[in-house]
Amino acid sequence: MSRWIALGLRRGMLTTGYPRHPDPGAPPAAVRVRAEALTAEQAVRAADLCPTGAIQVEGDAGTGALRVDMGRCVMCGRCVRALPDAFTYSTAPEVAVRSRERLTLRAVWSRGEGPQPEAIEAAEELQRRSLSLFRRSLHIRHVDAGSCNGCESELQMLGSPVYDLHRLGLFFTPTPRHADCLLVTGVVTRQMEQPLRDTYDAMPEPKLVVAAGACAIAGGPFEGGLTVRGPLDHVLPVDVYVPGCPPSPLALLHALLLAVGRAQERCSPGVRDGS
Amino acid sequence: MSALRDLAAGLDMEPEPGAAGEMHATCSEERFAPRVAALAEGAILADLFATTGERRRRLSAVFEAAGDPGWLVLHCDLSSDSFTSVTPLVHSAAWYEREIREMHGLEPLGHPMPARLRLLDWPEGVPPMRAGPGAAARGEPSEPERVPVVRGRGVFQIPLGPVRSGPQESGEFLFNSGGEDLVAVSPLLGYKLRAVERLAEGRSPEEGLVLAERLAGVSAFANGLAYAQAVERSLGIRVGPRQRAARSLLNELERLHNHLGDIGRLAEATGLMVAAAQYAALKEEVLRAGADLTAHRYLRGALSIGGLSAPLPSSGLHGLRRALPGWHRRTERMRVLLEATGTFTDRLETTARLRARYAAAHNLVGPVGRSAAVDRDCRRDHPYAAYEELRFEVPVRPEGDAQARLAVRIEEVRQSLGILDQLLENGFDRERSGGGEPETARHEALGWCEGAGGQTLHWVELDADARIVRWRARPPAFVNWHVYSEACASGNNLTDHPVIEASFALSHAEFDR
Repeated sequence: MSRWIALGLRRGMLTTGYPRHPDPGAPPAAVRVRAEALTAEQAVRAADLCPTGAIQVEGDAGTGALRVDMGRCVMCGRCVRALPDAFTYSTAPEVAVRSRERLTLRAVWSRGEGPQPEAIEAAEELQRRSLSLFRRSLHIRHVDAGSCNGCESELQMLGSPVYDLHRLGLFFTPTPRHADCLLVTGVVTRQMEQPLRDTYDAMPEPKLVVAAGACAIAGGPFEGGLTVRGPLDHVLPVDVYVPGCPPSPLALLHALLLAVGRAQERCSPGVRDGS
Repeated sequence: MSALRDLAAGLDMEPEPGAAGEMHATCSEERFAPRVAALAEGAILADLFATTGERRRRLSAVFEAAGDPGWLVLHCDLSSDSFTSVTPLVHSAAWYEREIREMHGLEPLGHPMPARLRLLDWPEGVPPMRAGPGAAARGEPSEPERVPVVRGRGVFQIPLGPVRSGPQESGEFLFNSGGEDLVAVSPLLGYKLRAVERLAEGRSPEEGLVLAERLAGVSAFANGLAYAQAVERSLGIRVGPRQRAARSLLNELERLHNHLGDIGRLAEATGLMVAAAQYAALKEEVLRAGADLTAHRYLRGALSIGGLSAPLPSSGLHGLRRALPGWHRRTERMRVLLEATGTFTDRLETTARLRARYAAAHNLVGPVGRSAAVDRDCRRDHPYAAYEELRFEVPVRPEGDAQARLAVRIEEVRQSLGILDQLLENGFDRERSGGGEPETARHEALGWCEGAGGQTLHWVELDADARIVRWRARPPAFVNWHVYSEACASGNNLTDHPVIEASFALSHAEFDR
């Protein structure tokens, strides 16, 4: 046993500086859109490429609108590879938001002009009183409602020395009775709906709900399946949405800190020139 | 050379050539069960599945044989919604037929235990692979399928799940225990059924790839690759040598991060936390190396039909080259320490032992099979990607216990690192010769890959416009879950279950699908 301890000591500190400092090895956390860099034809092409309907176009090349929904994005990278001027990966892990609408962007165009993004409203600061209760410590109950195990793999990494969620006062708890926060991964399948509701009902008030990953947010590629009930917010009220397929451990950390009011919402699916 | 051809000839079968390396044969309904049984005498039943559509019901059995790189697929068209069960003759067909019954509504007549595998409370007569949209909402949920329960003085049942204690996949276990000993364990699976294969029907192969990569997260690349190869083989597309090498590299990277994660979780299950932490840290490095190569930690989006979606960037390859010596050193040091830690190895020896005969009868795959003397590895048996040019050994152990499963994984880590060395040494950046002439399109073919969990076998049937008619995925977890209860009942205690579960490391998502 002492040799293991010696090995651990020799390896030294492995923990990321996040959230105090950015992590230089952060993976792509989201796709960002520069709508001005697109022509109407390119917008139509991007919508054709997107396998989950995250990029949609109404109208045609003459007059129309582009709607990008980061909640549906499964990070397949097709738009990024085909139209690198307009679609880019962002490695900033702050992708979680408090309302579903904040994950979408709309850009409209009319004859002869390229798409112009509609104004993005400033993040409304709805500081709920219950949040301050959990500022110092948050106990999380995780439920896999029908995920592919990608999100669980990332949640398990949170316990590794690299992310070490305990240093931030965050803990997974086996019992819903002790939980402040329900973190749900995966699309809600018909067979997991009842266990999920039971877990939520067993949690004391006040309680937070986090939808982690594209499947929990919008059903991901499984939306409309015969054996699938749907996205999490069709079943339970959701407080925080973390996009990603799966969301990286850094994005999950940010989401949990956002849920308790210890981090700011920075997500916006669009980027403006110069921003 | 052609064990399968000889076997077929001995049965007076005249199989037609299919996609490269495949032979296809058809037979009548009455002859299907005896013929499958006769083939299973000399070959391995690798898959048995149904294809249903409008006025169409077809069973297909896939065979492979030791020492033969080819495959034999036996098809049989059914005239009604029932067929003669193969299971009384071939035990390893049992779960395939139960799946065909629940997912396609085809009744295996004479099956000794045709209970549903995963639809725990699902309307009767609404098979998810066949029913029309909205059907499930209309039907009344039936009574949950009866689960075998052990009765006797002092025997009681402990349910565990489907919501588990930590951030884990959803699944239920029913323990039958007399106090401490595990008398029997029934895994109740299927909570996460998404019917992924059904969702792909009518879509383009590229759209199907998105689903294949999301069938299971930690084996995203293995399932994606098996699917992509099935599509490529059915359309007659050849993949260039450089892209084949890149596929082998990513295949090994995924095997590596899974094995490191599984070894770490086994250490965690025995309370060896420093080892768990160090393996997790190493796994994180491998995930980050994958993200540097493909912009995705789990390598999603790296594949495309016909090759890779983008060439591997040289910065990522340099990073991997720099990291490899350290990975060699650290895995070796931790192997020595693990083997010298008595409190760890004591928990593994003789735990959840699988007898070799039992393992062979179920045609087990991956480290679970190889640790019980089932010597199968598609990288060697059916070389794909660049494996024909690569040197590696396939570790096999006879014991069949948790210790042997660990030993196989530890050795496979070493072999994977060796393969990565070879791929990087052999001049990855150098352009190689082209892929050659395309082959004839057959519109249906198998694709396979050796993932961390074992043989991942996919089947794709395309229509004239190259839209998906049927996609069948048979991931390794489907085969290996079959023996889980038997292994648990080999004289273990309740407190051994975390060790048993970690040593099997079976995916729920892959089973439930």
